[in-house]
Amino acid sequence: MHAGQFDHVAVPVALAAVALVDAAFAGFRAATGRNARIEKRRYNLRAAVRGLAIGAASLAVVAAVLGIGLLGTHDAGHAYDALVQAGHRMLMVLMPFAAAVVVSLAGYWLLPMRESTFVILVGLGPFTLARPLVVLAAAALALHDSHRWLVWAGTLLASGGVLLVEPWVHRRWYHEPL
Amino acid sequence: MAVLEISDLIAAWDPGTGARQPIAVADVTGRLRAAGDHRAARIVERMPATSGVLEPESVDRLLVRVHTELQRLAEELHMAERFVELLRPMLDAARSAGFRRLRVVDIGCGIGYVIRWLATTRVLGADVELLGVDQNPVLIAEASRLALDEGLPCGFACADAFALAEDATVYISSGVLHHFPVDELGDFFRAQDRPGTAGFIHYDIAATRLAPAGAWVFHRARMRELLGRHDGVNSARRAHGDRTLVTAAGQVGTMDIFLFAPIRHTNPFCAAMRPVVGIRPELSPALRRLLGRRARALHGTDDPVPSLRAAT
Ligand SMILES: C[S@@+](CC[C@H](N)C(=O)[O-])C[C@H]1O[C@@H](n2cnc3c(N)ncnc32)[C@H](O)[C@@H]1O
Repeated sequence: MHAGQFDHVAVPVALAAVALVDAAFAGFRAATGRNARIEKRRYNLRAAVRGLAIGAASLAVVAAVLGIGLLGTHDAGHAYDALVQAGHRMLMVLMPFAAAVVVSLAGYWLLPMRESTFVILVGLGPFTLARPLVVLAAAALALHDSHRWLVWAGTLLASGGVLLVEPWVHRRWYHEPL
Repeated sequence: MAVLEISDLIAAWDPGTGARQPIAVADVTGRLRAAGDHRAARIVERMPATSGVLEPESVDRLLVRVHTELQRLAEELHMAERFVELLRPMLDAARSAGFRRLRVVDIGCGIGYVIRWLATTRVLGADVELLGVDQNPVLIAEASRLALDEGLPCGFACADAFALAEDATVYISSGVLHHFPVDELGDFFRAQDRPGTAGFIHYDIAATRLAPAGAWVFHRARMRELLGRHDGVNSARRAHGDRTLVTAAGQVGTMDIFLFAPIRHTNPFCAAMRPVVGIRPELSPALRRLLGRRARALHGTDDPVPSLRAAT
């Protein structure tokens, strides 16, 4: 399969968008259970921004490694194609999961409290536990049949970065309760 | 075999003097191992101790951390809103029956989330006094600190659920009933049978078959403290069956007792928490009227919820 022109832009943009939104939520989760005040909108927002910043930094590292890798290879066009195809495979796992999370979040915010509890217990709670497995599955599919070191480096760095945001933000800013 | 929670075993105060009692690690681990709970024993063994006695400061810090995480769960399950759904009509019924100086007391309030939430939103009206009580002075100190920090109009005090000094128009609690064995439940409810009391609303984990697995997933996903994860699952395992609760509350004798469970939501994923409600019979009709359609969710002893389980 050849990556089309559209995919050349859409795949990296979609992956970056998913990673950044996920990082903001990871930042929020890193701060939860540490502040028992009632009013904590600003606290939560700040945690999400911290997650976003760490996520953006980790994305920048991935972009830099891939950029340098592409510049240093003699068949940059094919290498970029291979990266886009790997990213495409990643999205096949990540997108359905992201869609399920978005639907659950909308349900949690919009539904009456009992249905909202239902969404937490069958959706958002288990999803938090499933998230690392989903990232690993996406990485495994991306690496499937690929022998290019750039694909391996990009996939492993990106997946590791996504999984590290929450523990990082937690350790750095929320290790001690307020 | 007894199902134990670590948090019940690692801190104790003399009921008479209020003095802190030393807790020997070996005593706690011995009880946990006797109950077959080796994992809990290992969690306790890793807690800081001096000469075999648990260090009170680190126990206190741990319990505050766990209760802060617990508040997050309560926020996600909309616990405060669940109370308001019943508290508002119950207080309105009391008002219209001429009750003055309305007061809500949360028994076993921990760090006081529900009371502080009610104080922040003032949804119950300016004439309602809000008080949280707990036997653990450290949690009460934390609740007071948090309330002061946000300038909230509510109070907190140390009190034993079985010897309440605090009168209330409505007593409430959440996640407390399962801390008492069946034969103490009657005393718990009787302690709230006061002349000025209109009723009570006690929420606890619904003792469904799915509750322990659900609690495992939920606590695993949302809590970092091993103690919190452990106790969360055991709370679900030791939660009292509906019939047990209704029967124990019925021992009060002077109140109508109900289980509040909307029929459409009796599936275990929606009914993770559900309350036992007691109300003076003369206020019962007003409560039903004020609840409107939701009054259909009130199930008396002879009108059980479809999923009402036999005594456990
Ligand atoms: C699982 S916690 C629930 C705390 C709080 N209601 C909440 O929902 O987050 C149980 C609480 O009950 C308190 N408790 C247990 N036995 C008690 C008693 N006999 N009198 C007063 N409080 C008690 C404990 O100190 C603890 O804070």
